[in-house]
Amino acid sequence: MTSSSELFKQLNALRKAGRIDQALDLLRDALDRNGLDPEEIDRAGHFIQKVRVDGPETTGRLRVNLLGQCTTTWLVPALTAVAWGQGQACWVAEGGYDTILQDLNRLAAEQRAPEVVVLIPWTQRLLGGSGPLGERVEDELTFWRHAWEAAGRMGSRVLQVGYDWVSPGAGGYGLAGEPGSSVELIRAVNAGLRQNRPAGSYFLDLELVSGMMGREAFYDPRRYYWTKQPFSERGLVRLAEHLWAGVRALVTGPKKVLVLDLDNTLWGGVVGETGALGVALGESPDGEAYRAFQKHVKELSKRGIVLAVASKNNPADGLEPFEKNPDMILRLNDIAAAEINWEPKAASIRRIAETLALGLDSFVFFDDNPAEREHVRQAIPEVAVADVPADPADYARALQAGLWFEAASLTDEDRVRAEQYAVERKRRDVQQAAGSMEDYLRSLEMRADVREIDEADLLRVVQLLAKTNQFNLTTRRHSRAEVLRLLALPGAIGMTVRVEDRFGDHGLIGVMLGVPAEEDACILRIDTWLMSCRVIGRTVEEFSFGELLDRARKLGYREIHGAYIPTKKNALVSELYDRMGFQRMRKGDDQAVFYVLDVAAAARPTAYLSLKETSLLVESA
Amino acid sequence: MEDRLDRLTRVFRDVFDDDELQISRQTTAKDVEGWDSLMHVTLVVNVEKAFKVKFTSSEVASLQNVGDLIDLIDARSPAS
Repeated sequence: MTSSSELFKQLNALRKAGRIDQALDLLRDALDRNGLDPEEIDRAGHFIQKVRVDGPETTGRLRVNLLGQCTTTWLVPALTAVAWGQGQACWVAEGGYDTILQDLNRLAAEQRAPEVVVLIPWTQRLLGGSGPLGERVEDELTFWRHAWEAAGRMGSRVLQVGYDWVSPGAGGYGLAGEPGSSVELIRAVNAGLRQNRPAGSYFLDLELVSGMMGREAFYDPRRYYWTKQPFSERGLVRLAEHLWAGVRALVTGPKKVLVLDLDNTLWGGVVGETGALGVALGESPDGEAYRAFQKHVKELSKRGIVLAVASKNNPADGLEPFEKNPDMILRLNDIAAAEINWEPKAASIRRIAETLALGLDSFVFFDDNPAEREHVRQAIPEVAVADVPADPADYARALQAGLWFEAASLTDEDRVRAEQYAVERKRRDVQQAAGSMEDYLRSLEMRADVREIDEADLLRVVQLLAKTNQFNLTTRRHSRAEVLRLLALPGAIGMTVRVEDRFGDHGLIGVMLGVPAEEDACILRIDTWLMSCRVIGRTVEEFSFGELLDRARKLGYREIHGAYIPTKKNALVSELYDRMGFQRMRKGDDQAVFYVLDVAAAARPTAYLSLKETSLLVESA
Repeated sequence: MEDRLDRLTRVFRDVFDDDELQISRQTTAKDVEGWDSLMHVTLVVNVEKAFKVKFTSSEVASLQNVGDLIDLIDARSPAS
């Protein structure tokens, strides 16, 4: 008997005994370890759907609707299983066969819109048409625009899958991309989708996805003629993995931190034995592979992924190659935090999380040693542990296959993040050398740039709303459309806060959104207050609040109401409003605390920041 | 050595999530709860995986009962 049929026997036994949570945990672990084949993943998805007797209103459950021009039936259990393997409970529903606009109308009429709408084109309509290329592309885009508008009105995020070609067609490979060919048409439509898709959407390039597996393996003609579902068993699971990565990119954002081992991960050999110049890094098959892996990792950091090192070595040994080996691609400036010691890796990773002030569930761990990987998997289940193959030549591909860092968009902030973390290390050093906290804060020479939320910042604001967990009073994951709606209310206050100090620029680190209360337009209700953890404890909170207070005063507000809605991650701010001088008004459901502040009596709290001259000043009402 | 029907019964039990399901050569879709055209696809795919065979589109279309399925498996893999 195979171990997977053992798995299902156990799952069914647990289900019969009513131990649903245990069954689901067991299944999640099995799915996370990538041990199941496509038929088993299908079965796993059905199992999950069956045992979750609680409906889609369960907190923390994501609602995802799959709307396709091909059959989507088997994608539902596949996506359910894949998402659960990564710890996310999803309620996945599908629309009808090629009834996308009608399905969107139906969804709009229901009580709660899905968090994500997945739109899956297929080529039957596109290839059945005729006429000049430009017109046919425009026809398809017109259709999808209707779909995007409908999704936007519902407040759902859009995951737009692209078109794909299954074979070169009758022209063969030589003529496949020629004018008038299907492949040319499909590529043109995909380019149109990419350029015109709604802001904040995720584009799933199906040509890339199928290309990676190989179309011969990804598509199954028999399956398509039989069920109008084009994907093979393996293709279906691969697609589900990408859909999950896209959903995650839209809802929580990509993973933020990549923790790397050193020996036989970033270079060949053990640096403690070979010395900094003796590690394999070029000039040999495996040396070249390690260098290529470093290049891939460096590219990741250039687009905003934070790099950290957790290695069992003497600290001096571990750092030496970064400083002395000319073949290293990564340098110390690329590493935001390094724990090089002889302690258990889980302890090092926890320290890294504390140093960076980032949640462990945004971490990915890459280590060539299977024992270390298993240790971290068990000690810190929230950390995503990459499956590392035996050959370093496969490292980059293996890291990519995890799809941890899939993102819907790239902002300028992402691009400078690595540098910012390097600068943060310098600040940490200064802090250790400084006398009192006040001396340190003054020495930073912090300057704040406070502005109203504008079009240019909207993407970044929505990104922050989606992924900020710790310093977030209310954790409202507003979509772009929702933010615009709130800002349009008369008397609404939407602020972005940027901070720089003498070491460098932190960029956009704070968002505050206040709206007039429904019951009384003289009360300002703080809908959202979030901040990047990078600047906590330096009186930026006090300064931001002071700015909000001034604006509220000038607009004629009498009171400010704030709420602290507790989540698993925001205990950090449980007493923030108390510190700002608010009074506790009442308690709500789920331990929520509601606060009130009288504007006339309030004073700006002490802060060690000055306002930059470029900040927009508030005008009177 | 397990015979075809026993092994097939295990596949049916896994696919239909029913530990007590009994099938015979005469069993058709009407006799098993949940055996609709969608489940039929899942069933065929699981049978193919379990017996390491692959049916053509025509063969899939021609299946009327479990007996047909067993005959098809036999034709594809005559050894045992």
